[in-house]
Amino acid sequence: MKRSYLGEFEEIVLLTVAVLELQGQAYGVAITHEIIEQTGRSVRLNQIHAALDRLEEKGMVKSEMGEPTAERGGRRKRLFTVTAYGRRTLQEIQEVRVSFWSRLLNPLNLTIIGG
Amino acid sequence: MKQPPQLADKLLRFFLSDDRLEEVLGDLHEEYRWQVNRVGERRAKWRYWRDVLGFLKPWAVKRKVVEPPAAASPTRYQRFDPYSTTSYFNPAMFRNYFRTAWRNLVKNRFYSLINMTGLTAGLAVGILILLWVQDELSFDRFHQKADAIYRLENWAGTGDSRQIWTSTVAPIAVLGKKELPEINDGVRISYNGTYTLFKYQDKTVNETGTHFADPSLFSVFDFPLIQGNSANPFPDNQSIVLTESTAKRYFGDANPIGKILASNNNSSFRVSGVVRDFPKNSSIQGDMILPISLLFDEMYRTRTDGKNKDNDFSQFDYETYLLLKPGTDLGKLTDKLRTIHLRNKPDDTDLTYLLQPLADMHLYRADGSPGGIETVRMFSVIALLILVIACINYVNLSTARSLLRSKEVSMRKIVGAAKGQLFLQFVIETALLFSLAAVVALGLIYLLLPAYNQLTEKQLTLDVTNYRIWHVMALTIAGTLIASSIYPALLLSSFEPLKALKGRVSARFSEATFRKVLVVAQFAVTVILIASTLIIRNQLSFIRSKELGYDKTHVFAFFMRDMGGHYDAVKAELLHQPGVASITRSSANIVRLNSQTGDNEWDGKEQGETMFMRPMAIDNDFIPFFKMKLVEGANFTGAVADSTHFILNETAVKTARLKNPIGKKFRLWKHKGTIIGVVKDFHFASMRQKIEPAIFYYEPANLNAMYIKTTGKDAERAIASAQKAWKQYNPDYPFDYAFLDDVFNRLYLSEQKTGMLFNIFAGIAILISCLGLFGLATYTAQVRTREIGVRKVLGASVSGIIQLLAKDFVKLVFIAILLATPIAWYTMSLWLEDFAYRTNVQWWVFAIAGILALAIALLTVSFQSIKAALMNPVKSLRSE
Repeated sequence: MKRSYLGEFEEIVLLTVAVLELQGQAYGVAITHEIIEQTGRSVRLNQIHAALDRLEEKGMVKSEMGEPTAERGGRRKRLFTVTAYGRRTLQEIQEVRVSFWSRLLNPLNLTIIGG
Repeated sequence: MKQPPQLADKLLRFFLSDDRLEEVLGDLHEEYRWQVNRVGERRAKWRYWRDVLGFLKPWAVKRKVVEPPAAASPTRYQRFDPYSTTSYFNPAMFRNYFRTAWRNLVKNRFYSLINMTGLTAGLAVGILILLWVQDELSFDRFHQKADAIYRLENWAGTGDSRQIWTSTVAPIAVLGKKELPEINDGVRISYNGTYTLFKYQDKTVNETGTHFADPSLFSVFDFPLIQGNSANPFPDNQSIVLTESTAKRYFGDANPIGKILASNNNSSFRVSGVVRDFPKNSSIQGDMILPISLLFDEMYRTRTDGKNKDNDFSQFDYETYLLLKPGTDLGKLTDKLRTIHLRNKPDDTDLTYLLQPLADMHLYRADGSPGGIETVRMFSVIALLILVIACINYVNLSTARSLLRSKEVSMRKIVGAAKGQLFLQFVIETALLFSLAAVVALGLIYLLLPAYNQLTEKQLTLDVTNYRIWHVMALTIAGTLIASSIYPALLLSSFEPLKALKGRVSARFSEATFRKVLVVAQFAVTVILIASTLIIRNQLSFIRSKELGYDKTHVFAFFMRDMGGHYDAVKAELLHQPGVASITRSSANIVRLNSQTGDNEWDGKEQGETMFMRPMAIDNDFIPFFKMKLVEGANFTGAVADSTHFILNETAVKTARLKNPIGKKFRLWKHKGTIIGVVKDFHFASMRQKIEPAIFYYEPANLNAMYIKTTGKDAERAIASAQKAWKQYNPDYPFDYAFLDDVFNRLYLSEQKTGMLFNIFAGIAILISCLGLFGLATYTAQVRTREIGVRKVLGASVSGIIQLLAKDFVKLVFIAILLATPIAWYTMSLWLEDFAYRTNVQWWVFAIAGILALAIALLTVSFQSIKAALMNPVKSLRSE
């Protein structure tokens, strides 16, 4: 299986985009806040922008400009959507993980087996 | 609604690529609103700045936009490719630049070494000089109120005698402060010659740096009291404030406050304060400060003529500093002070006050004309020249050798390097060499600093915490780096790849000319420095060999103190001792007559005229002792009548316009008498000053300076005998004698140091230029190896080839000599103008300087030329 490499952080950003695009809210600030809320990491805006940039370059998301809003000083948002290629990549990652997890007989006794 | 910081937005607009600006700015503003509600405006602003700076990354910054190629294929992601070139700041390329730079340095070890040595020496010396300059410029500027503090001085005298005194009368500060609103405060300082011996337990020290001062010394100036009350540092007249190190000298680590120091005449002082040591860059120095009220008490307590500290306008003994209100008109203020002075002493019509800013005291003379600042300027120029020479070396070598890099540049261009990238590459290459040189230079400075401090009498340190030092170093290094990297980088990055690869690049005319201009500049500097060194040396030897008007050889002198009362007995005793040839005495040291008086009168003195004279009481054997010549009249005989006799010097006679002076009436202070002799002019001060009027008078009670002429051979024993006699009468004081020759030499100490430093700096500048020339000559010889081979095969002689190679350089040196001569002549004439007695600038100085420069250049060049000329042509031609 050959696929484009996706870093852990990129994966989270991509997942967040996938979740937020349902409400049409997948843009910089919203993604940042969502990730902070869900993971508790301290993420900064420029990191999100950089990650989105890389994802777009890899062809996993695409973007278009949205409507201007007042709180942004009349500026437009760039709204992201996950491409088919991005979705497939996410699914593949998920499948790989699931298959590994399923090979652990009893995940809850992990520590006992290990010990 | 609160807005995010405007400046941050401006910055973002400046660096962020245009296609991202809208979304990023929008996101940032939205985030800001959100954060204002969450954490408040102040912290939101901080975050905003942090976020903006977070976008200062390669992926987001502006790039050069290029036109998309005509046949560009439609791209998948419209935001990228077609509009921007690659970033200049690509980390991978950076690594590559460093790697190629390093390889180049290592590959061309010889040239790298020449460049490194030149740069290191240049940087080290340049920085050392600039550190000195910075220290000089920092004098007296550390006071918080430095801009508002002025030294009060006054003009006194008329005609030729008109001069500035930096010390004033005592009451003017007090009256000025009381009557004039412009004056916030005043400080008076007077040298303490009364209490010199201080005793604590078994420790006795003869203190020479003690002063009386107003308590305001500690509030007007930034001389912080470590212990004691700065509002009231002297609770009574028997209080004393010591500096930290003086206190340590007496009391060690014990608390000095309240300790009692015994002093002369059964007096004693209680330590009431400890002040931090006066900084090295302060013009006001000292070890102990006594209350000035004590001085006044002593001076006026027993006076019967009604004079007291508030009305004595005749004692010009006090350095006065005034703290002024900001924006004070100095001219008006000095006029007002003069009015006050004249109200109290109407006959001082020749007196006018002037104010000198505190910060100017060290580097300017009292009248505001440049003093030490000239040396500072001269050395700054030398530092600059040395750095320029070092830069020229680098520029010349790297441009000359740029041909060798043309292929590399062309290849890089062909695979897509932009000019800007190549420029960056070569700047980085220079920077790498510079960093290496800078590190070595720092080490060198560290090693040289102790010797340098000794030479300059400074205490410069490489203190890592002193930001001012880093200032100088960073500026110097950055400045030279910029100066020497831009031109080579521009040149190298501008090669046209096709021509270069075809091998059709030849040194363009303009480049070769540019290099020649630089070599000429280097050698012009060299010639100027050599000529200046010679002229300084001439002047110094002129001063030292000039006829002084008296014979000071083998004479040592000291002040007798309590021995003075037993002079005759001591003299008789000492004359029997081995090594002692003759003995005399006077009231002051003949090499430096410091005191001055205008209190005199003669027939024909005009109303309001003042003639300042240097008075000295002498013994009757003084004139023969020093082999001085009497132009007219006779010497003192030692008779009682001599107390009303005077001997003037020629200048005094001329200034007073006396014809046939012998027998004329003359008054000095309260002594009324007649002139019995005229002594030939003699030098009693530095040659910078003209000989001033002087007067000898006879007053045996006032002859405290003893001169002993030794036979020259047994000087040691003569000193030992004198010391023995000294101990007998002054057991507590150290025997402090000095040979007149040494005192005389000390007059020119600063000139000598300047001369010596000049020699050293000139030598280093010359050395660096030679290095550069050496490198260039080597390169020229290398390039012409084949030509030389062919010439030799065809029968050229070795000397012919050397001529061929050296000719170009010699021509340049000649041009340099022609250019340098007038410049050196002009600047050195200016320097010489400072001396009242000076040599002329002679033409042969420039001839010697020129010949020296030529010889140095020839030596440097011929080494390589001879090597090239002697090479076996078979070797050089075989490789073809």
